[in-house]
Amino acid sequence: MSEAEAYSYDAEMRKENRKKAVAGRSVIFKIKRCDGPGKPMRWESFKVPITDGSNVISSLNWIAANPTTVDGQQTTPVVWDSNCLEEVCGACTMVINGRVRQSCSCLIDEYAPLEGDVITLEPMTKFPVVRDLWVNRDRLFNNLTRVKAWVPIDGTYSMGPGPKATHDLQQMRYALSECMSCGCCLEACPQFVKVEDEEKWDNAFIGAHAISQARLFNEHGTGKRLKGERMDELISEGGISECGNAQNCVKVCPKGIPLTESIGAIGRSATVHSIKKFFTK
Amino acid sequence: MSTKDGLLQRHHFLLRRLQSLTGIVPIGVFLIMHLTTNSTIAWGGANSRAHGDGWVDRAVSTFQHEVSFINDMPLLLLIEITLWVSIAFHAIFGFMYVLSSSNNMTSYKYGGNFRYVLQRWTGMLGIFFIFYHIATLRWGWSWAIPGQTEWSHEFASSTFAAAIQGSTEGYTGLGLLVSVFYFLGVSALVFHFANGLWTAGITWGLTVSRGSQKRWGYVCAGLGAGLMAMAWVSVIGFATLDYDRALDAEMGRSHAEQTLPEQQHKETVTQASNEEHNGG
Ligand code: SF4
Ligand code: SF4
Ligand code: FES
Repeated sequence: MSEAEAYSYDAEMRKENRKKAVAGRSVIFKIKRCDGPGKPMRWESFKVPITDGSNVISSLNWIAANPTTVDGQQTTPVVWDSNCLEEVCGACTMVINGRVRQSCSCLIDEYAPLEGDVITLEPMTKFPVVRDLWVNRDRLFNNLTRVKAWVPIDGTYSMGPGPKATHDLQQMRYALSECMSCGCCLEACPQFVKVEDEEKWDNAFIGAHAISQARLFNEHGTGKRLKGERMDELISEGGISECGNAQNCVKVCPKGIPLTESIGAIGRSATVHSIKKFFTK
Repeated sequence: MSTKDGLLQRHHFLLRRLQSLTGIVPIGVFLIMHLTTNSTIAWGGANSRAHGDGWVDRAVSTFQHEVSFINDMPLLLLIEITLWVSIAFHAIFGFMYVLSSSNNMTSYKYGGNFRYVLQRWTGMLGIFFIFYHIATLRWGWSWAIPGQTEWSHEFASSTFAAAIQGSTEGYTGLGLLVSVFYFLGVSALVFHFANGLWTAGITWGLTVSRGSQKRWGYVCAGLGAGLMAMAWVSVIGFATLDYDRALDAEMGRSHAEQTLPEQQHKETVTQASNEEHNGG
């Protein structure tokens, strides 16, 4: 999808690197480490032998088994989060060479093709660090509940089969449904700033992923029953008007979700919703 | 769970949309009119109905005509206050916007991100410029004008040329600085307006699809380029205007306006004397 233009520009560069990759090399992993919430950050580097198809997670596995820094210092294994290992769960998201992305799908050949090349790994900056590269993404999920990102089907009787949807609608919604709650769009967004205090989450920017999910469920035949409530949340503090249209979100989304279109669409719904509210409430 | 019941919290959405709206109406609309008026200093020579023999004389005279027209507008002060309040509102909330964000241009070098950052910088430079511009020329803070000259709406071109050149006798060092500041200030504001108009399309939900955002982008870029051209020729026009020549043209013009054509002059006189007869 053309949504991720800069992403595909990177893809060009990565393809080039893949061609250059030297077999049997070792590369340096420079990792930003932290022992726990509130603890200071420090950098440690590890020299890791690269085998065919190595990726960041396999390299982290190697480091876990050999936790010795380049200076020969014995240290604790680096901690990270991961699950699916095929870029569909979003758990392994981290900042690699300054850009946010999934680490499980990050091939070493594409980032460090030559002997001694350096790859930097940092935890995402918009979420609290649990330990090392592992962050707590609770706020991301909290924000999905703020817009009730679901279809309401609970009740005392069967609601029968779902409503029919046109092909176009299905296509549009399918693209949005690919979101894996990874947090890339939030990490890259200049308007989404880190909020430590959980109490303040509901007043802080909700983020592109939640705006897009609100659209996904507003456009669902049954899901639209909650549209009013979703829009109420989205026109309150921390809602859609917090977006500054930098459009970084759409560039970094690994699933190529048309986030800026969702922002425009929810902006339109917000305009209509607020005018309606002015005259009917 | 925290609540959302502070005044700013409750009206958050409304205030943000008002901030967006004020940028277009009245501020943006005013910007277009203001630049149209000011750029007459560059193209007003083409106005064959203007008083004066040379291109520059006619330009000065056209510009003076526009300024006088504006100054004769009814409820001018009300219009001005509306503008000042809108600008102050737009700027104060804009600042709050800036303070609540965290730029990350170094890691994410995308065009959109660059415009986002630029939008904030041009806003801040722009408001600083507007304040200087209004304070010195409208509120009479002539101590802040390099040569301490004063701007007069009756001698709009010459006194403004003096204000940005630093004296009535051509450039001074400080004058050059003010001219450059004007150049940067207007450029920043034109960018801010054109880019803001583009993002407003998304904010208000007019441009939803990628295609429409792109097309609207071309429209805004076109408008921005046109306004930029007007802004630049305005600043260059005044920055290169000769004070004495402009003053002469202004004097000649006001003299001309008070003098009626010969034929008409006679008619008026005879009419008056006739009336005198009848009345007597
Ligand atoms: S378009 Fe909005 S949500 Fe996306 S990165 Fe920019 S400010 Fe954030
Ligand atoms: S919208 Fe894209 S970047 Fe954001 S959480 Fe979903 S998949 Fe990740
Ligand atoms: S482990 Fe699931 S996306 Fe990487």
